[in-house]
Amino acid sequence: MKVIFIAIVLLGVLIVAFGSPLAGEKPVRKHYYEAPDVILPMSFAHIDHVAVNCVDCHHNFIDDTGGGLCMTCHVTNQDVWPLLENQFHDLCRGCHAEKAAEGIAGGPPRQCMACHTGDDLP
Amino acid sequence: MTALSATFACVFLVTFLAAPTMGAGWYWDAGNALGFAAFAGLIYLTITSSRRLDVRAHQVLGYGVLLVATSHAFWFMLGDAAAVEFMKLGAPDYMWHGIVSFLLLGFLITVALVPDRFRLHRNYPSFKYWHRLVAIVTIGTATYHIVVSNFYLGAWYQALLFSMLAIATSSGGRWWARFGQMPLAKTGVYIAFSLAAAIVFAAIRNLPA
Repeated sequence: MKVIFIAIVLLGVLIVAFGSPLAGEKPVRKHYYEAPDVILPMSFAHIDHVAVNCVDCHHNFIDDTGGGLCMTCHVTNQDVWPLLENQFHDLCRGCHAEKAAEGIAGGPPRQCMACHTGDDLP
Repeated sequence: MTALSATFACVFLVTFLAAPTMGAGWYWDAGNALGFAAFAGLIYLTITSSRRLDVRAHQVLGYGVLLVATSHAFWFMLGDAAAVEFMKLGAPDYMWHGIVSFLLLGFLITVALVPDRFRLHRNYPSFKYWHRLVAIVTIGTATYHIVVSNFYLGAWYQALLFSMLAIATSSGGRWWARFGQMPLAKTGVYIAFSLAAAIVFAAIRNLPA
């Protein structure tokens, strides 16, 4: 049993290190948006979110916390950068989960690969 | 069978108290249901070990729980290319708690077997004390993994009830002993329960109303 368990753990370590042979293309961590550390690619299509009020995400339009794109602050501001993962997960996943709870087809509330694919969407 | 059914019911019903039909797709929900089934197995093993124990049945059922926990972990690692990124350095702490819980479960099972048990413990009371202590830490880390990931226990009362379930399991040994010697379910029955629970859990959340 001990040998089997060690083999399972080693297999898990190999999958984490080299990726799953079954899962298709693996997202590549890079310095996207000139982030100070490597991050996962993210997918966001404005065209799929036209029903959402702009300021629900672009809070800086009304709270005077800066201008430009989300990533202008969220990867360059030293106070905000460490919170990137939590803030974006809470915002995106929270909104999608709310929609799903209301029975509205609102996109992926949880799956990792549903968002962590790079894209050139508008 | 009654105790196993009650354990599965308690664990899974808490997840349905808020937003019971909110699904994330068959694949994602079924994989997470296997995790809940592993947690149910873990607390079932704990509450049924409050009195004199059929050691062999407890041990074999432990293998079953480890198998279901392994299925939960590898389900995501093999099927979602981004999920493994949340098992690396910098991953959210709730993922680290899940990994630690899985490793502790494996440790708990493998070193409980002779001859490793004799190497680590001079007598049975010492083994029993440490085995129970590691089991409690395993339940604690698994509870943190489930509650803080916030996927199915989004309402505060769900998190509270789930945590109370874990605390009652871990600290209520004398109370559980009042139920007398509960016969342990066979491993095959537990695995069948787990598969059925995974299908029902995913179906409720993903079949059109």
